[in-house]
Amino acid sequence: MNLLDIIKSANHNLFRSKTRTFLTILAIFIGSFTIILNSAINAGVNSYIDSQVENIGGDDYIEIAPTALYDQLSSMMSSDSEVKEYKPDKNSGETAYITNEDLAKIREIDGIKKITPYHNVTAEYIESNLNDKKFSVLFRIFADSSLHADMLTGTQPSSDDNKPEIMLNPSYVEALGFSSAEDAVGKTVKFGIKQTAKCYITPDNCIATTEATITGVQANGVLSTGNMLGINQALSDDIYDLMTVDTPDNIKDRTMFATGTIDPDKIDNIRSELKKLGYTVTTIKDEVGLIRTFFDVILVVFNIFGVIALLAAAIGIINTLFMSVQERTREIGLEKALGMSKGKIFLSFSIEAILLGFWGSVVGIIFSMIIGYIGNTIAHNSFLADFPTFNLVKFDPLTMLTIVLVIMLIAFLAGTLPARKASKKNPIDALRYE
Amino acid sequence: MNVVIETKGLKKTYGKKSSAFHALKGIDLKIYEGESVAIVGKSGSGKSTLMHLLALLDTPTSGKVYIDGKNTTDMSNKQLNSLRSDRFGFVFQQFFMNPNDTVYENVMLPLKIAKTKYSERRKKVENALKIVDLSSKAKNKATDLSGGQKQRVCIARAIVNNPEIIFADEPTGNLDSATGDKITDLLFDLNHNHGVTLVLVTHDEDLAKLCNRIIRIADGKIIDDYAVKKSEQTSAEKRHEKVAAEVKAKNEEKKK
Repeated sequence: MNLLDIIKSANHNLFRSKTRTFLTILAIFIGSFTIILNSAINAGVNSYIDSQVENIGGDDYIEIAPTALYDQLSSMMSSDSEVKEYKPDKNSGETAYITNEDLAKIREIDGIKKITPYHNVTAEYIESNLNDKKFSVLFRIFADSSLHADMLTGTQPSSDDNKPEIMLNPSYVEALGFSSAEDAVGKTVKFGIKQTAKCYITPDNCIATTEATITGVQANGVLSTGNMLGINQALSDDIYDLMTVDTPDNIKDRTMFATGTIDPDKIDNIRSELKKLGYTVTTIKDEVGLIRTFFDVILVVFNIFGVIALLAAAIGIINTLFMSVQERTREIGLEKALGMSKGKIFLSFSIEAILLGFWGSVVGIIFSMIIGYIGNTIAHNSFLADFPTFNLVKFDPLTMLTIVLVIMLIAFLAGTLPARKASKKNPIDALRYE
Repeated sequence: MNVVIETKGLKKTYGKKSSAFHALKGIDLKIYEGESVAIVGKSGSGKSTLMHLLALLDTPTSGKVYIDGKNTTDMSNKQLNSLRSDRFGFVFQQFFMNPNDTVYENVMLPLKIAKTKYSERRKKVENALKIVDLSSKAKNKATDLSGGQKQRVCIARAIVNNPEIIFADEPTGNLDSATGDKITDLLFDLNHNHGVTLVLVTHDEDLAKLCNRIIRIADGKIIDDYAVKKSEQTSAEKRHEKVAAEVKAKNEEKKK
């Protein structure tokens, strides 16, 4: 028999006892469905996290804070009752800061492209000239162009630009009186800034205003929601200057942490150099790693369930084929008598096993796609309504193909036992079998 | 005449030592091209074992089987398989058909095994079905046929790949005498008109007498090997007359 004949007759034999075949395929389906849906959810969540990471910053973005700051925080939360001896350079009671001189030292490290002190800028309110309402607001500084926001319309604030710029979230568009997201782009908004030092003296008259241009509207996402708006360095500087009017320079210039861009290939060197200077580096990967680990653990647990189901299914395949070999003893005997080789008989039963695996996993894919589609639709209409770019379940063709091939391989391995038994049958005994 | 099958000192033993059963105790014979040979004996005489060895379905404990003068014990499994699929045809008492397949598919099986080209298969199957007069049943399921029709399908299956030798193990054993005769006619027609060598295993003396040579087996040995004389040979016509007379007698008995 040539291969096509063997595949045809294997498929034909498979559907001879329909109920048995159906049940075996069902068992494989349960395993494959679990694994396929899992990997689709995994792909969906990861691609979402990836897109959100882009939202904050790429590989070249780092945040730097004094290690002493972390030590202070951890000793606050520690239950350690040991009294530590005072050492001015190690455990100062004052909050740790990064000064301008420190920044100059950091900038000399190989691989660091740019370092900007991160000032926590705040505004009392944001307003447009379209209505007389004022709204509270928080800022996120988009310090560098390597940070990519998921834009609904327009562009993100430019870091190369010296003009103060801001992007809105969809909820602010309507509140500020713009007719649409497109309408808001290019318009000006005004901020009220508290001049801290002045407010100690004249609390009733210490708010100054500054303006910025709207460059775009950001799409909603887990990391870009609420009333946190992205601004560029120029606007941040404007606001900080107003906040620190009348503040002494040494206080004005110090910062708790700095952000910067680096050459991602040199991250290890940068990390160790900064450690020597007493700073801790956090990359986006560090932050996202935690979220990802959490999801990974859940998915590994579910995948274990899927694998267990597949193993049970593999035993089902063995069982089904053993029964089939038993039933077809005379047929195998005849085929051997007519000159069919051992190898071909083995192949014929192996292909039956592989076909069981194939159908089980294909049905698994079809069902998980249907469930995935329904899941995505429900999610977008409910708890993910604010995140139009997020697909809960995502199907990657290559991953699906790999899963199908692996399940077919498992099925093949399960089928080798009965296939061997069939191929070893002696034609005479097989023909005598009643 | 050419010798197609020759055996030398063929022995077959089942089991070991004290429980050993010697099915064949040294068989030497030659089968010539175009012959019709009946291997006759009681059940347990070793006639089926002999046929299995001649047809290369089994290996002897000792002794040798030569096909066209070539020693088959030296042959690889692959060579033995292709010998069987290309040159042998088989007819069994129990039919051995795939009941869920159509007649057409059942007859096609040897062609699949022999890797016959797709373009030739259809023609060969149709031709074989025509010879056994079952062209109209090609698309029927094998289970829907009568016993005689089933055995005719088996003959079609045996001849579809134009074999040189047909081995038939009690081909009429499961059939009534009238249907059995049709099957016999078919087999001997292949022998007379198509030059197919026929090796029949049977305990039916009447069937054996249709052959031109009878090999009698008892207790694992050949006790008689002789050519059937023309006068002794029951012709197909005579057999038909005999069957017709029997049927007539039975019918008359019923009337009484």
